[in-house]
Amino acid sequence: MSNPATIEKIDSTLLNRLDPDGKLNLAACLQCARCSSGCTMRQETDILPHQMNRMVMLGLEERLLSSKAIWACASCHTCISRCPMKVDTPALVDALRAMATEAPADLKRVRIFNEIMLGSMKRFGRVYELGMMSIYKIRSRDLFSDVMKFPVMLMKGKMKLMPPSVKGRGAVASIFDKVRQSRRAR
Amino acid sequence: MKYSFFPGCSMESTAEDFKMSTLAVAKALGVELVEIPDWTCCGSTPAHATDALLAASLPARNLAIAGEAGQDVVTCCAACYGRLAAANLAISEDAGLRAEVAKAIGKSYTGSVKVRHFLQVLLEDVGIADIKDSVVKNLGGLKIACYYGCLLTRPRELSILPDPENPQSMEELLAAAGAQPIEWPYKTECCGASFSITRTDTVKRLSGDILRMAKASGADCVAVACPLCQTNLDLRQSDIEASTGEKIGLPVLYFTQLLGKAMGLSDNELGIGKLMTDPSKVLAR
Repeated sequence: MSNPATIEKIDSTLLNRLDPDGKLNLAACLQCARCSSGCTMRQETDILPHQMNRMVMLGLEERLLSSKAIWACASCHTCISRCPMKVDTPALVDALRAMATEAPADLKRVRIFNEIMLGSMKRFGRVYELGMMSIYKIRSRDLFSDVMKFPVMLMKGKMKLMPPSVKGRGAVASIFDKVRQSRRAR
Repeated sequence: MKYSFFPGCSMESTAEDFKMSTLAVAKALGVELVEIPDWTCCGSTPAHATDALLAASLPARNLAIAGEAGQDVVTCCAACYGRLAAANLAISEDAGLRAEVAKAIGKSYTGSVKVRHFLQVLLEDVGIADIKDSVVKNLGGLKIACYYGCLLTRPRELSILPDPENPQSMEELLAAAGAQPIEWPYKTECCGASFSITRTDTVKRLSGDILRMAKASGADCVAVACPLCQTNLDLRQSDIEASTGEKIGLPVLYFTQLLGKAMGLSDNELGIGKLMTDPSKVLAR
């Protein structure tokens, strides 16, 4: 991360887009870094939580949206739980993920997995793990890891061969459609 | 005691043993868990990582149905608990979101149906005295590392535990069943959760640290209250052992399975055979 002092102009449009009502409390951040010292992913991320908050204040949209950090977050909520100012970093990460169109190469799988799991919910009303895993393996090209676990999981009933059969699946598909319409209108 | 029960998707597959042991323990204690008719997925991590409205609407559909029965909703899955409770909070605080959710699910829902974890029902409604009375074969001082992970303790507003940094609820419950829960420092660390498939090395590192700390602290086994935690600590344990060459061999049981054993319920009723790391030696002592 380059020295923020080199940034010529502070742009608050990103802050206003991510948190129009101030609900995330980002401006209250004291930069104490208590969030970052407890962050589960501190060893694997490129932007620590307290840095992320400051980068939003500075309007560094591109760097945030192309960061590993937003996809590497495990949503463990340690940051907000320990924050003396209740800055909602997990909600900030979710808002950034929703804005990002791409994930860095080594984290593409996280995004693909999310899409496939949502697809499973939409189609079946509940998650169909075997179907989801099959599609994930093809789309991520990660064909062989864990395949040895499948037979024992099937045998122990920890994975079902058949998809769940739920009457409410139509209702769930309709929720997905209405949310998409509302997003377009937003 | 009667509740609307939200099992969640994991309870129908990877955590079927959690569902079996929950229902068996509930029945033996006179707790009636009535499954929410036609319940659907809570949206889990992918929904909140994608769209705040979707993340509120998927739980709201289930909570609105449960509201018709008029009882509290009880779930066992820590992730479902987190998503249902977060949706309730968001919907009750934000009138704009409430209106959008009503459009998405086709009925109004105000966020008023109370959501609770089964651990709370046991401690707050059944009570330690009745649980002690139900024990027929106490756990014989079994040294248990109680592991809570993230979603029962964080964020603080949704924590089911009075002290989210050092919870004691499972300890209290399992001590009543004759176990000797140990004190150890990693009980609310993150196991890596939903990265199990996409970032397996990360999960092996995080879950490996938790298992090794539990073992170094003197645990005979680990007790959990979340299907994702159980899968990462149990199903991934052989992968963790293979990558470091160090045998861990710690059984990871749902707290309901351990309590059920003390209540004299059978291994079949409790789904003990579904565990990957064999607990029979530990439980036989």
